[in-house]
Amino acid sequence: MKVNAFSREGLRRRFSQSTMLVIMIVVVAIVATIVNPKFLRITNIINIFQQISVLGIVACGVGMLLVSGYIDISVGAQVSLLGIILSGIIQNVGGIAPDASNGWLQPLAIPMAFVVSFIVGFAMGLVNGIIVIKSRVTSFIITLGFASVYKGIALLVSGGASYMLFGRFEWLGRGRILNVIPIPILFFLGIVVFTHIVLKFFRYGRFLYAIGGNRKAAYVSGINTDGIILRGYVVVGLLNALAALILISRVGSALATTGEAYALDALASVIVGGVAITGGKGTALSFFLGVVLIGLLGNALIIMNVNPYVRDVVIGSIIIIAVSISHITSDGA
Amino acid sequence: MQDANILEAEKINKRYPGVKALDEVDFDLRYGEVQALVGQNGAGKSTFIEIVAGSIQPDSGLITLDGGAHPHLDPSKSIELGIQTVHQENQLVEELSVAENIYLYNLPKTRLGFVKLTTCIEAADNLLGELGIGISSAKKLTELTPVQKKLISIAKAFSRKAKILILDEPTAALDTHGKNILFDIVRRYTKKGLSVIYISHHLGEIFEICDRVTIFKDGRRINTHRVAETDMNVIVKEMIGKSTTSLIIRQTATGLDAGEPSLEVRDYHRQGAVDHVSFSVRQGEIFGIGGLVGAGRTELARMIFGLDEKDSGELVYRNRNITPTDPNDAIRKGIGLLTEDRKENGLVVIRPIFENISLVRFAKNRGAFMHLKRERSDTEAISKQLNVKTPTIAQLVINLSGGNQQKVVLAKWLFAEAEVLIFDEPTIGIDVGSKSEIYGLMDGLAKSGKIIIMISSDNPELISVCDRVGVMRFGKLVAVLDGEQKNEENILKFSMGVDEKDET
Repeated sequence: MKVNAFSREGLRRRFSQSTMLVIMIVVVAIVATIVNPKFLRITNIINIFQQISVLGIVACGVGMLLVSGYIDISVGAQVSLLGIILSGIIQNVGGIAPDASNGWLQPLAIPMAFVVSFIVGFAMGLVNGIIVIKSRVTSFIITLGFASVYKGIALLVSGGASYMLFGRFEWLGRGRILNVIPIPILFFLGIVVFTHIVLKFFRYGRFLYAIGGNRKAAYVSGINTDGIILRGYVVVGLLNALAALILISRVGSALATTGEAYALDALASVIVGGVAITGGKGTALSFFLGVVLIGLLGNALIIMNVNPYVRDVVIGSIIIIAVSISHITSDGA
Repeated sequence: MQDANILEAEKINKRYPGVKALDEVDFDLRYGEVQALVGQNGAGKSTFIEIVAGSIQPDSGLITLDGGAHPHLDPSKSIELGIQTVHQENQLVEELSVAENIYLYNLPKTRLGFVKLTTCIEAADNLLGELGIGISSAKKLTELTPVQKKLISIAKAFSRKAKILILDEPTAALDTHGKNILFDIVRRYTKKGLSVIYISHHLGEIFEICDRVTIFKDGRRINTHRVAETDMNVIVKEMIGKSTTSLIIRQTATGLDAGEPSLEVRDYHRQGAVDHVSFSVRQGEIFGIGGLVGAGRTELARMIFGLDEKDSGELVYRNRNITPTDPNDAIRKGIGLLTEDRKENGLVVIRPIFENISLVRFAKNRGAFMHLKRERSDTEAISKQLNVKTPTIAQLVINLSGGNQQKVVLAKWLFAEAEVLIFDEPTIGIDVGSKSEIYGLMDGLAKSGKIIIMISSDNPELISVCDRVGVMRFGKLVAVLDGEQKNEENILKFSMGVDEKDET
């Protein structure tokens, strides 16, 4: 059969997902630079990467989970709730202002915030995973419900008000190595490398692909499918805890809606990165490129002085287009 | 009117890639007649009735109904002409009432478009009463037993003008009482001129209810008899036709016969699926399981592997109880299952060959890391050994032919060092060349001391590949055939219960 350049086969042959992403990133960068030459400045580039670090960490968890065919749409609410909890601890245990004395507990505020964040992140992942597995309902619906639950709890805990850190906890989000490289970027790249190792070299990673490709066949092959999926949700929760710590440290305050945008942004990133919505495909590199593209777009729109609300339209459209394309180019599955 | 034909089919041909499903088939059905259609799996019965029902178009041939020629039938036209089909699988909506299900194609409506449920229930109750089916039509379908659902499917066919009724394995879901109701309906309505095409694997029923019987084999009509003038043995012989067991590639493992039973399957049972099945397999033996589709063979295999629930059953290997609790446990105990649906349960088709081959081995091992280099070389070696035809083992499984996909499944279990291998329909949808390769591989595995259980609906295959063949019927292991006894005729007879006493 003749291969038409725009047929499924043709599309698949002409572009590997990664090259397509790189091309798109370059195009966005060129357009942004033409409109505003400041875009390509080193400081802006570093700035962009610092901004996308949090998204990148969240997206790695979401991406690994999506490789197994499962979704967590509650990650934005998780980050928000974690932000409220950890900033609440720092504000209340650490004292209102840096020099306010709060007794012997004061130096323990930040370590406590760390420990509690990871415990809560772990717990949210565990609960999400257990309910998704036990209910056998589409993970999208279950985690959509949890998104509302976590958001509600965050609002209840904070009473709708914001928590301030008063500069008590800045090094993680604002610190720079050698005064050049922001610490969040190191964490982001570290998590990408970690994700690559997990997906490529760990049995666990291999099982994620197998489950995403065909859960029944994976089970018949002796894989503890429920256990693997559960771990996927826990990893998401733990990475959200790390992301929330970095985010709150950088922003210096927390609201019950601080992390909201991450749910769709993370999903958009891994989907443009080429993870099939049904699972079985995707690599750490593709998550990384997807995050860069989404982050770049956001920054480009700002620097081009576009109305910020346009961003939502763009992100939503990207999800729709990317999912449709990957569906058309996949083998009719 | 007795000898006039309501339906005539002339020289019907239907070809699918690689198979001639129907080959110059002639068929005629008289007014008021019940005619049975019999044949082994793949004989062309289903294709034929679907052509009559208009859901498949023949490549050539002519269908004449009531004297009028119909070169182009489609489902709605067939129904309009009075051809009603009761499919093997019920086509009912669980969430609706019996009445709504019966009249779903044309629900009575008010002027505003609301369904007139009372009118509908009234009509349905009348119909059910007339047919002698004692079910209230106001009930929801979910409240009914499988037997009752089948009866509703049958009633649905009578809700419209029916001149020809096609019954596809109607009794598979019926108990004795339900069967009596059906037969009563058939007898009463054929007196009024209804004609019936009756497909069944249960030859006893054919002698009970049918006037004539037509035998199909390999897409051809072999013969038609008046039931009163024939007997079961003639029918079975014609279903088998000339023996095709020339592909014997395996000599029965001699010398091993004296060996102790190595694997014992003890009293496997699950209500409604598998009925207290026990047998044993010797080291180096291939044990076949034949029977009709739905006899409980796949269910048995899945229970042995720990994949499905069971009420009872123990698996003993060399006097050690190894009954698995789940697939992971089965794998650790050296059991492998090659499921009948490769793409559904056997392979991750969107992943590469080598990942599929190593999957079970990694599931069996512990330890977090994989040794990727060794994985590549080891899976490469085993894929070469099994002659998987592919330029590279990084190829996605979805791009392989059916035969090569089956080899990948086999490679996966061999790589995991399974000692007991259960093959469920291993050659379904596979070309002849790959088939004989797979037979050869199975033979080699048996000789190397593995224990092999092979489920197949292809009887010549069972005879040529297996040392002994067990036959299942209605969940029971009704016979284990050996030596001279191991032939197509016996497998078929036991599958269909030919020599059983009247089973009502």
